[in-house]
Amino acid sequence: MRGLLVPLSLVVATALVLFGGWSTPYDPNATAGAPWQAPNPEYLLGTDALGRDVWSRVLAGGGRLLTVSVVAAVCASVIGIAGGLVAGWSGGFVARLLTACADLFLALPSLLLALVAAIALPWQSAVVVATVCGGAPLTLRVVRDAVRSVRSSGYVEAALLRGEHTSSVLLREVFPAMRGLVCADLGLRLVVAIQVCAALGVLGLGVSPPEPDWALMLRENMSGVASNPWAVAAPAIALGVTTLLFALAARPPSREHDDRRPAGTGREETDHA
Amino acid sequence: MPGPATAPAVALPRSRKAAAGVSLLFSLVRATLLLGLVSVAVFTVTELLPGDAADLRASPGADEEQVRHLRQELGLDVEPWRRYLDWVGALISGDPGTSLVNGRPVVDALAQRLPATLTVVAGAMALVVPASSALAWWAGTTRRGRRMPTAVLTGGAAVPMAVVAAALAALFSGHLGLVPPVSLIPPGAAPWHHPELLFLPVMSMALPTAFFGGSLLSGSVADTVRMPHVVDARRRGVPSWRIALVDVLPFLLTPFVRVVAVSAGGLIAAATVVEALFGYPGMGSLLVSAISTRDLPVVQATAVLAAAIVLLGLLLADLSAALTEPEHGRTT
Repeated sequence: MRGLLVPLSLVVATALVLFGGWSTPYDPNATAGAPWQAPNPEYLLGTDALGRDVWSRVLAGGGRLLTVSVVAAVCASVIGIAGGLVAGWSGGFVARLLTACADLFLALPSLLLALVAAIALPWQSAVVVATVCGGAPLTLRVVRDAVRSVRSSGYVEAALLRGEHTSSVLLREVFPAMRGLVCADLGLRLVVAIQVCAALGVLGLGVSPPEPDWALMLRENMSGVASNPWAVAAPAIALGVTTLLFALAARPPSREHDDRRPAGTGREETDHA
Repeated sequence: MPGPATAPAVALPRSRKAAAGVSLLFSLVRATLLLGLVSVAVFTVTELLPGDAADLRASPGADEEQVRHLRQELGLDVEPWRRYLDWVGALISGDPGTSLVNGRPVVDALAQRLPATLTVVAGAMALVVPASSALAWWAGTTRRGRRMPTAVLTGGAAVPMAVVAAALAALFSGHLGLVPPVSLIPPGAAPWHHPELLFLPVMSMALPTAFFGGSLLSGSVADTVRMPHVVDARRRGVPSWRIALVDVLPFLLTPFVRVVAVSAGGLIAAATVVEALFGYPGMGSLLVSAISTRDLPVVQATAVLAAAIVLLGLLLADLSAALTEPEHGRTT
């Protein structure tokens, strides 16, 4: 039962984020009443500086952010997996070169890369660039190690002996063995992508003002935090809970693979120690 | 004291020192290479922008001929690679040019903003170091139900810093009214003279980073407390404070220094978010306002300086790792 809690709430939250904008009580971009009203029955979470309904804006404000983050995370994951498959399979010089290049990018914080990219590129591309540069190297490492350990296993050697082509062995035998690992890793990349998205939005380099966006709402409503704290707290909670759910959903399989043994035996060992 | 009896046959101290020297040289090369790459990236990105300094400076209504003259005067008509080299040369000699917006030297702006950013980063690090150590110790040494500490650390590190900042502002400033919601430091005053203005920026930077550092470090703690010599010492009934101090901590020094360096580097970048949210006059808000006004000399200098500080931190971590490792090879 508890194992289902996180995935289930993740699905509900994703549906709310993506489709919440369709059923807002007010137009999220139009003035609905007096500015900076505290929460009341008419406006569930009060109004913001321009008198727009905060609840409607929260409902509509996550779709774009999540879409861009998912695209960025998938890009980072795909590039990292490709690099990891090549590095783990070929070994030797190629592996060392790929790992060295990957390590090079890891030294810089993703946000700094995003800021540099945001100078000239539109914010969506900046998020993708930063997530790929900061995330693909980590995926590459994880996948490389997994490929190395799978490479010498019986079914891979059997496929090779059957005379199958390397690329088909990689795609049909090696890759499916790492499904759980790759899913968990995708979740981690998504969390970083959301963080970068949120940071750019708060800095005013993301979605342009009239549109509803959680990060932009944080920036816009900070000046009125004393009159209507919910104008800041509501988008903060929405953004925080969404990120938290993705991070928690990404966790269990990655831990299992970190330990390289099922969770149960790990616990037993520590008990004996 | 039992040494790490299970450690593999250790190489001679001399070859160890040589290995440390090689790894140090490698990290020096890596930092230099990365800084070069960052400067190329920053320069390329600013080149990609439509319009250049001549377009910006030309008086409105200037014709093609005048703009071309100005471009020649500013040295913008030569090849990009030569301008890049000129720019890097000027940066190295400590002259990043003048701002396009207010015509003041960029160095002045940086000298004014850098101490403010370093103040909040130092304040946050003062909280992050003990907090992340405690969290890592808690997560690494919990024996039953290890899922809970890992979940707390992963979750805490995942929450975007902007969310923490907004939540803290809504709570302490909006709900409780304890601190002002904006941290505008009066001009001429040092930020540390106004601790009440530093509270929100420092806390919102420290909280997520503490969880991040803790989750990075907890793996090392868990590995170390499972090492055979630690298990052995525990079986012999050595007091746990003594095990922690003598058998565990020396092995954690190197990962700890690295985690501190990575956290500090992340904080330099993350300071932009907090500075922008609270209106704190630091390097990050300088970078962001320069990006939005297309003030290229300021953007270039600030981005390269931030990258240089981050890389310097990593280099120092590598240096101290190289210094501490042979040390504990000799003592144990």
